[in-house]
Amino acid sequence: MNSLLSLKNVETYIDQYHILQDISFEVPAGEVTVLLGRNGAGKTTTLRTIMGLNPPTKGEVAFKGAIMNGLPPHDIANKGIGYVPEDQGIFGELTVEENMKVAIKKESDDVMERMEWILNLFPDLKTFWKKPGGLLSGGQKQMLSIARAYVNETELLLIDEPSKGLAPIVVEKVMHSIQEMKQKTTIILVEQNFLMASQIGDSFYIIDDGRTVFNGRMQLLREDESLRRKYLGIA
Amino acid sequence: MELFINLTINGLATGMLIFLLAAGLTLIFGLMSVLNFAHGGLFAWGAYAGVWLYLLTNSFIAGIIGAIFMGIILGFITEKWIIQPVYGNHVQQILITLGFMIVLSEFLKVIWGPNQIAVTPPAYLTGSWEIGNILIIKYRAFIIVVGLLMYALIYYLLKHTKIGLIVRAGVINKEMVQSLGINIKRIFLYVFMAGAAMAALSGMLIAPYAGVIHGNMGMEYAILAFIVVVIGGMGNITGSILAATLVGLIGSFMAYYVPELSLAVNMLIMAVVLLVRPQGLFALKG
Amino acid sequence: MRRNRFTDKESLLFLIIGLALFVFPFIYEDRSMLILFTQIFIFAIFAMSYDILLGFTGIVSFGHAMFFGIGAYCVSVMLKHYEPTMLLVTGAIILGVLFSLIISFVVGLMTLRLKSHYYAMLTLALAGLFLVAAEKWRTLTYGNDGFTFRVPEFFHNRLHFYLVCLVLMIIVYFGLKRFIQSPLGRILLAIKDNEQRAESLGYQVLHYKIIASIVAGGIASLSGSLYALSLRFVNTSVFTMDITLDALLMTIIGGVGTLIGPVLGAAIIELAHHWLTGLAKVHWIFERWLILFGIVYILAVMFFPNGIVGSVRKLVAKKGKKEDVSTSENIVKEG
Repeated sequence: MNSLLSLKNVETYIDQYHILQDISFEVPAGEVTVLLGRNGAGKTTTLRTIMGLNPPTKGEVAFKGAIMNGLPPHDIANKGIGYVPEDQGIFGELTVEENMKVAIKKESDDVMERMEWILNLFPDLKTFWKKPGGLLSGGQKQMLSIARAYVNETELLLIDEPSKGLAPIVVEKVMHSIQEMKQKTTIILVEQNFLMASQIGDSFYIIDDGRTVFNGRMQLLREDESLRRKYLGIA
Repeated sequence: MELFINLTINGLATGMLIFLLAAGLTLIFGLMSVLNFAHGGLFAWGAYAGVWLYLLTNSFIAGIIGAIFMGIILGFITEKWIIQPVYGNHVQQILITLGFMIVLSEFLKVIWGPNQIAVTPPAYLTGSWEIGNILIIKYRAFIIVVGLLMYALIYYLLKHTKIGLIVRAGVINKEMVQSLGINIKRIFLYVFMAGAAMAALSGMLIAPYAGVIHGNMGMEYAILAFIVVVIGGMGNITGSILAATLVGLIGSFMAYYVPELSLAVNMLIMAVVLLVRPQGLFALKG
Repeated sequence: MRRNRFTDKESLLFLIIGLALFVFPFIYEDRSMLILFTQIFIFAIFAMSYDILLGFTGIVSFGHAMFFGIGAYCVSVMLKHYEPTMLLVTGAIILGVLFSLIISFVVGLMTLRLKSHYYAMLTLALAGLFLVAAEKWRTLTYGNDGFTFRVPEFFHNRLHFYLVCLVLMIIVYFGLKRFIQSPLGRILLAIKDNEQRAESLGYQVLHYKIIASIVAGGIASLSGSLYALSLRFVNTSVFTMDITLDALLMTIIGGVGTLIGPVLGAAIIELAHHWLTGLAKVHWIFERWLILFGIVYILAVMFFPNGIVGSVRKLVAKKGKKEDVSTSENIVKEG
């Protein structure tokens, strides 16, 4: 299987804490791969490691076959990887327009096309175009963060807990848009909200205590209650 | 009345000079989270290099250009070889920039000697204008104009250029900027060099204003710049110019009425701001 | 310090050298050496107090000269106006320490909860303020000119003063060592390692930082008092940045966080200063000895953040190939 992204036995330390002890997974192109697990298991750190914000001390992170370990975050981003962090990372004092502008490197036709597409998906952003990002609602900020990560020639999107703190209606909207984006880009999704994750995910990996402990197609988790109970503590 | 206007103009002029010094410091602090204790050294070197050139060529403009060049070069050296190696470790940063400040000050004294050097403004900026009963000293007016122009320039760069946008975004969230594919370390270097150039310029401009330059001027003015950065809010240029004006005016009036207290009052304001509203008096968010 | 094999060996070494220094002046009589070594002892005390802040709690203060100056002036003013008896001297030293304790408490209470940058700035500005105040309050301090005063009979003999300073230095060393190895000290180390973690483990970080600050301030005051006594003269130079810088240089170069490092640093700096000042008669460049030390200091912060003693410890550890480092987690759990 030709994966877009693959991690092999990755270990990451934050200060002296051994957060990731053995993470391995493959992300096939064109799919949504979900990272599941309890709080503190290391899901966010995994995304940050891929992004180069917390470089791995051991193991391999390979994108399109080429190893990315040790590259600075901006180089990794420029390979076509976009990051939507847990706190969305919106530049509150900058306008929505300026937030998008920071992301855009070249105003090529391709990029403008992507911009149009994503703004149509998230019309609220057009409404608030000249307003400071800090004034947006939680859901709108999430949309802005996703739009910003998407607009360059992104082939892989890392999205960290997009449903966190959002009302159910908004969560549905966000999930729906991620589903739309699946057509255009590969996605790694970290989610605590299993219901949502199971609806749009194609395959999953369970991370516990810094290790990948179980994986499979999402079908498996949807159908097997005992598995869900065992690894996620839910029915 | 004349006294009041005089003190005000004096205060505004001093304020502008401190603004130039603080502008670089606040951007560097806001963007890089580095408190550059060596900033005063850059200021002093700008003064000495500029004055040396000025006295040598008898051209004030040459002095200014020389100072700016010196600032750019020293800024490059400082960022690349002093600050980059310890990036991320706050304690080391603070210690090392202070150490560099000492080396800069001492080196200055080695080259130009520890004694004061007298400086006067160029002929076309000496003297004053008379408006009714009021005497406006030309050089002070000049400084105020330069300060305002620099503020306008910086404001324009920040608001209307891509690099300014990146700097503003970086002040808010460095990591996110990196995650968007921008090499923020390179931006650090440019911002630092620009800040250093402004500090050096400030040093050169202050020389004819104060009448003398001496080896310890760096530390003296640096403290005022720190106070301005705190009061104005780190990374906040508009805050800086307002805070600098405040500090300058207070200094000017205090120096006339109660000279012992001028530094104390400014310090008190800084302490109060740090305790009550650490994001600065003029911060935009609450 | 963790109770590891280093500190015990170092203490032994220290004690041996201390005894040697005790005996030394009786064997070899040289007045200038006596005075030089007394200075080393005094600054060793000062540097050790600074290490408590920087090396053991992770606090960067640029105002340490404040306490040095307070101690110096307390003794000087008392001795100028009253009969110079040993009782008075002791009382004055205690007064200085008390003032320093109060001031470092008040300042610490207000400012230690700020980010390290802000604390550094504030202490810098505060020290500057003290200096200006001292220069303006001429009736008390005689400003930059300063004043001389008489010392008690007992100290007229330089040897006596030498021995007193030596003994005090040894007491301070072992006292601080006990302090550091106590549960309180280990919490300070945990704070230095990772403040947030210590906070999340339930420790009132501000509380402990203030304690460290008070201890450091008090001891610095003691060294300032001794300094004034050694010179029989005081002026506003005791409040200058130069003094704080001395502490910084000695601690960093000697070895921050080792307690014995600052002692070594004090010896190096004072000896070098003495020697270079002598050389200044040969060539004026030696007057700017501060540059040399500034450069060494920068290199130390960049490449040898553990200073001389710290680097030696690392080398010895590598040779012994034993793992002697416990994580802050363990320290806090034990503590």
